Amino acid sequence: MATTTLSPRAESYRRSWVLDWLTTVDHKKIGVLYILNSFLFFFAAGILALVLRSELAVPGLQFLDERTYNEAFTMHGTIMIFLFVVPVLAGFANYIVPLQIGAPDMAFPRINALSFWLLPLGGLLIFSGYLFGGAAAEGWTSYNPLSNKTYAPGVGTDLWIIGLSLVGTASILGAVNFIATIFKMRAPGMTLFRMPIFVWTVLVTATLILLATPVLTAGLIMLFIDRNYGGSFFEPAAGGNPILWQHIFWFFGHPEVYIVILPAMGVVSEILPVFSRKPLFGYKAFVFATIGIGLLSFSVWAHHMFTTGVVFLPFFTFMTALIAVPTGVKMFNWLATMWRGALVFTTPMLFAIGFISMFLIGGISGVVLASAPIDFHLQDTYFVVAHLHYVFFGGSVFGVFAATYFWFPKMTGRRLNERLGKIHFWLHFIGFNLAFFPMHSLGILGMPRRIADYSPNAGWTIYNLISTFGAFVIAISIVPFLINVVATLINGERVGDDPWEANTLEWATTSPPPPYNFDRLPPVRSERPVFDLRHRHVDEPGHAIVAETEAQP
Amino acid sequence: MSAETPAAGAPAGVRPLVAERREAGMPTPLVGMLLFIASEVMFFGGLFAAYFNSRATHQGPWGPPHPAPELEILPVALPITIILIASSFTMQFGVWAIRRGDTRKLKLWTAVTLLLGVVFLIGQLYDYSQLGFGISDGIFGTTFYTLTGFHGAHVFGGAVGLTILLARSLQGQFSARNHVAVEAISMYWHFVDVVWIALFTTLYFLR
Amino acid sequence: MRRFAAGTRVRSVLRVAVPLVLIFLLGGCLMPPTPETTQARDVFNLYILVLALGAVVFVAVEGMIVYSIFRYRRRDDRLPRQIHGNTVVEIIWTAIPTVIVLVLFTFSTLTLARTEAKAQNPLTIEVDGFQWQWTFRYLDANYTVTGTPTNPPVMGLPVNQPIRLILKSNDVIHSFYVPHFLVKRDVIPFPPGQPLNQLEFTVTDEGTYAGQCAEFCGDLHARMTFTVQAMSNAKYQQWLADAKAGKSPPPAASVAPGAAEAKLVAKGIAFDQQKLEVPANQAFSLTLDNQDTVQHNVSISKGQQVLFRGELVAGGKSMKYQVPALPPGDYVFQCDVHPIPAMTGAITAK
Ligand code: HEA
Ligand code: HEA
Ligand code: CUA
Ligand SMILES: [Cu+2]
Repeated sequence: MATTTLSPRAESYRRSWVLDWLTTVDHKKIGVLYILNSFLFFFAAGILALVLRSELAVPGLQFLDERTYNEAFTMHGTIMIFLFVVPVLAGFANYIVPLQIGAPDMAFPRINALSFWLLPLGGLLIFSGYLFGGAAAEGWTSYNPLSNKTYAPGVGTDLWIIGLSLVGTASILGAVNFIATIFKMRAPGMTLFRMPIFVWTVLVTATLILLATPVLTAGLIMLFIDRNYGGSFFEPAAGGNPILWQHIFWFFGHPEVYIVILPAMGVVSEILPVFSRKPLFGYKAFVFATIGIGLLSFSVWAHHMFTTGVVFLPFFTFMTALIAVPTGVKMFNWLATMWRGALVFTTPMLFAIGFISMFLIGGISGVVLASAPIDFHLQDTYFVVAHLHYVFFGGSVFGVFAATYFWFPKMTGRRLNERLGKIHFWLHFIGFNLAFFPMHSLGILGMPRRIADYSPNAGWTIYNLISTFGAFVIAISIVPFLINVVATLINGERVGDDPWEANTLEWATTSPPPPYNFDRLPPVRSERPVFDLRHRHVDEPGHAIVAETEAQP
Repeated sequence: MSAETPAAGAPAGVRPLVAERREAGMPTPLVGMLLFIASEVMFFGGLFAAYFNSRATHQGPWGPPHPAPELEILPVALPITIILIASSFTMQFGVWAIRRGDTRKLKLWTAVTLLLGVVFLIGQLYDYSQLGFGISDGIFGTTFYTLTGFHGAHVFGGAVGLTILLARSLQGQFSARNHVAVEAISMYWHFVDVVWIALFTTLYFLR
Repeated sequence: MRRFAAGTRVRSVLRVAVPLVLIFLLGGCLMPPTPETTQARDVFNLYILVLALGAVVFVAVEGMIVYSIFRYRRRDDRLPRQIHGNTVVEIIWTAIPTVIVLVLFTFSTLTLARTEAKAQNPLTIEVDGFQWQWTFRYLDANYTVTGTPTNPPVMGLPVNQPIRLILKSNDVIHSFYVPHFLVKRDVIPFPPGQPLNQLEFTVTDEGTYAGQCAEFCGDLHARMTFTVQAMSNAKYQQWLADAKAGKSPPPAASVAPGAAEAKLVAKGIAFDQQKLEVPANQAFSLTLDNQDTVQHNVSISKGQQVLFRGELVAGGKSMKYQVPALPPGDYVFQCDVHPIPAMTGAITAK
């Protein structure tokens, strides 16, 4: 492609590369740091998940006692959510958003570096509970009074609170940065309705973070005051109310789940059009659906509290189920994008299709849970665990891998090996369904979540066994992925600046992009500026692409 | 999807990235400050929600624990409220001054604002020492000290910002065209003031 | 031509796959336990409706995905038509889910109104959840039973009679859950003065149903099991009489005045001592001073055999147990409610 001559970099000013990475304020390097850091935490939390699954494979306590089990699932849930999915998507956003809107960097590069560095700090604090007499063990929801000093005297819970506050602060700062960047740093011609969908989803996500996370911070502070300064926010004996914690937590917690799904939806909406060779069907509807989900997400929190008996059930049932409508719009937009397209099944495309087909299951189980009388049965059973993994793993994590395969050539100039990629995908896909589909049955049969052990007479053993097997298949699927990454970095196929024939501005610069990203920018006259460059007469059907495409290096 | 002729001289379809990125509308740092304030609004929203929820579910009279005296407005609370509101005005005088390019007035008003802020904090600490109940004395004590305490912490943060502002203005870093930091800190200061008005109304009047 | 071939292949695959998926879905693996209360039957029907709606959505969407994968595979370098949208279909596919949602909402609300209705003269049982077991107090019959993690309690119930549970907790949140009743309700330590949660149902079939705490409540959450035993009214009366009789505490072993004494303080779900020494072959008294808010007891065992099981002592109370004589040797004492390391210790008889 055009755009390339880099001015030679002033090597003499460069410090050692370690120092360079540690002190960088370049959004691309920070993005990569985010992604690497998140994957490390993913492996840690994933290994904890394998521990959980091993314990649950058959009845009886084999490896752990109850306490260790409780610590393990608490750490697993907390780390997966706060130190893997949220930051890894923020990492991709960091790398890609400025490129996609044609900006040289984020609006506040130094704050950007700060919000990254708070993450490993917070994560290590959360984990360090293990060194000081036991990690937090109250679940990622840390309900009161269980998390009061009386019932959770350990310092692990305090470390959990402090660590989470830091991570929360990091994502608030990041959100400020993203919104300011998107509003203030767009290239000429990049109007709001020409922004790539990924940018839109990041914008809405950042808004949700900005408005929801501070509420969690407030709650964490109250919890800390209760635990350490004799406060009584949640202390029934002193006139406080434990239910208050649930309101606060879920007021944050529900928007949080869209915080982790929306950017993944954005990724999928970038990938499907590229590999279907069609524009995203219903761009504006998609944008409005995203905004609609964002708005609705603040009015449904009490669907996590149906069984507390203190919330108005019909209202929350209705609002919750209503989210299916904008989400459905997106689903159908994706389908229509593939419909009558010219589909190529590269690894990123496979993961994107995996996303829509698996997220669908998670969405439907969500709607089942939204019905209050049914939730009375399923709440706090493995059905919820199945739901949350279908949306988190089948949704967000598939999205993360799709993004990894899709943007790896942009970040490194080399494409991940497709054969290994496909092995990874299929093992992942099969393992995932083996691990989590049986959990639906377990929940419907009445197996509560967060139990270290269950009775051999309950009839749950076979499902648990399959699930454990599936978890190990997922773990094995990570091996070809890791090999792929390492091998490609050392000796991968160099594929030039735009290997996928993609649509958006990040593909109009070199791979990897130079500092400050662009020497020149193509004109932006639609949401697909690079596509427009490649095809000047696209509206003629049957038009051959080859002739118009500029030669790939 | 209409194609235009690319700028002359550039390779096909590509035009040079000129440094004509317009700074239209609000300066980026101010946007950042506004967004940050939005998150702070939600933070205090959470604390207020806790207050109102506790009050609604609390049985019996709502107020300081029994032997402690009622919250009294006159000795401290009202004066420091007036002081804080006044400081919002002095801050704004400073902003107007620098918009006109009057750096001398900026220094003056910033110093006055800082002083008023510090007086507020001292007043609040004095009030704490007089109240006769603590954070661990029941749900009222907990909410009272948490809300006012976090507000106080924000005033303190604002005061630090004002100190930096003062130092920078003494070094002559601001001018009529270049004073984003002044605008940003003043926004924050007004926000802190508004929170106090809400707190004061809630804790002392709506009881 | 190839296109056409692919199309028929897809259709034949779908013709097999769709019914299979449906059978798979409806064929048990997503079926709740048989509902055993009037309310549960209602919920069961609602669930079937929702499951059917979900299955339709699932098959339709997944079907379209699979169809596109086979049908629209890229075959040459021609660019497909660049369609940006179509208002009519977009309105249709916004409307259909809206209708589904409204149906679901309506039926949920109707069901809710029925299942949450209050009965006239229910049999009332106070259910007290604590870390980590249950106490059932039959308010009309003056019968109380408390379980331990190793010995969970049985809740006997008459069939065809409305039951009301009053759910009470003094420590953390628990949840009363019987899968066969397709319902659970949280047991919450509300601030004083706030009404307690209640749960009402009418059991329709005799049988024994497993129950369990469903809200995570700490270390032994998994051990908060219990059993519901539903019986005809006659059998229920008999059961109640038997239970009351069996409950009368065994006559205390008499201890000579001035005999040996031991003392344990329970505080913060922990005993103050992990080692006790008592004289062998001689009955002794053991005082349990419970300074917690939750219940504790002390039991003494050797291997699997329980030699002494002390009564539960409520929070803030103290009790003097009379323990029968122990032959010389090492024994284990523990709190049956909290058999965790902090509430377990060694007792030596010399
Ligand atoms: C990425 C995360 C994510 C996402 C996207 C969602 C999405 C949804 N969730 Fe989920 N949820 C979680 C993460 C998520 N959830 C987690 C982590 C928990 C457990 C927390 C804990 O307790 O630990 C939870 C728990 C949870 C509960 C509480 C369960 C309980 O504890 O009792 C409920 C109840 O209503 C619920 C509902 C929903 C609904 C209705 C959606 C909807 O947004 C789904 C909408 C999508 C679709 C419906 C599919 C596409 C739509 C169509 C094809 C249109 C046509 C379809 C229909 C009309 C049905 N979720
Ligand atoms: C994004 C979120 C996310 C993700 C990706 C996962 C992934 C997984 N989860 Fe997680 N889970 C949660 C979020 C998530 N989970 C949450 C929020 C809860 C609720 C917690 C609570 O109740 O409080 C939960 C709870 C939960 C439970 C229920 C525990 C209980 O209630 O008792 C179980 C049980 O099976 C489970 C299993 C798994 C498994 C097997 C995976 C697997 O998919 C994991 C796969 C990953 C790996 C296997 C790692 C691979 C790494 C290697 C192979 C190592 C290689 C490394 C090097 C060479 C350096 N999870
Ligand atoms: Cu009690 Cu779980
Ligand atoms: Cu939710």
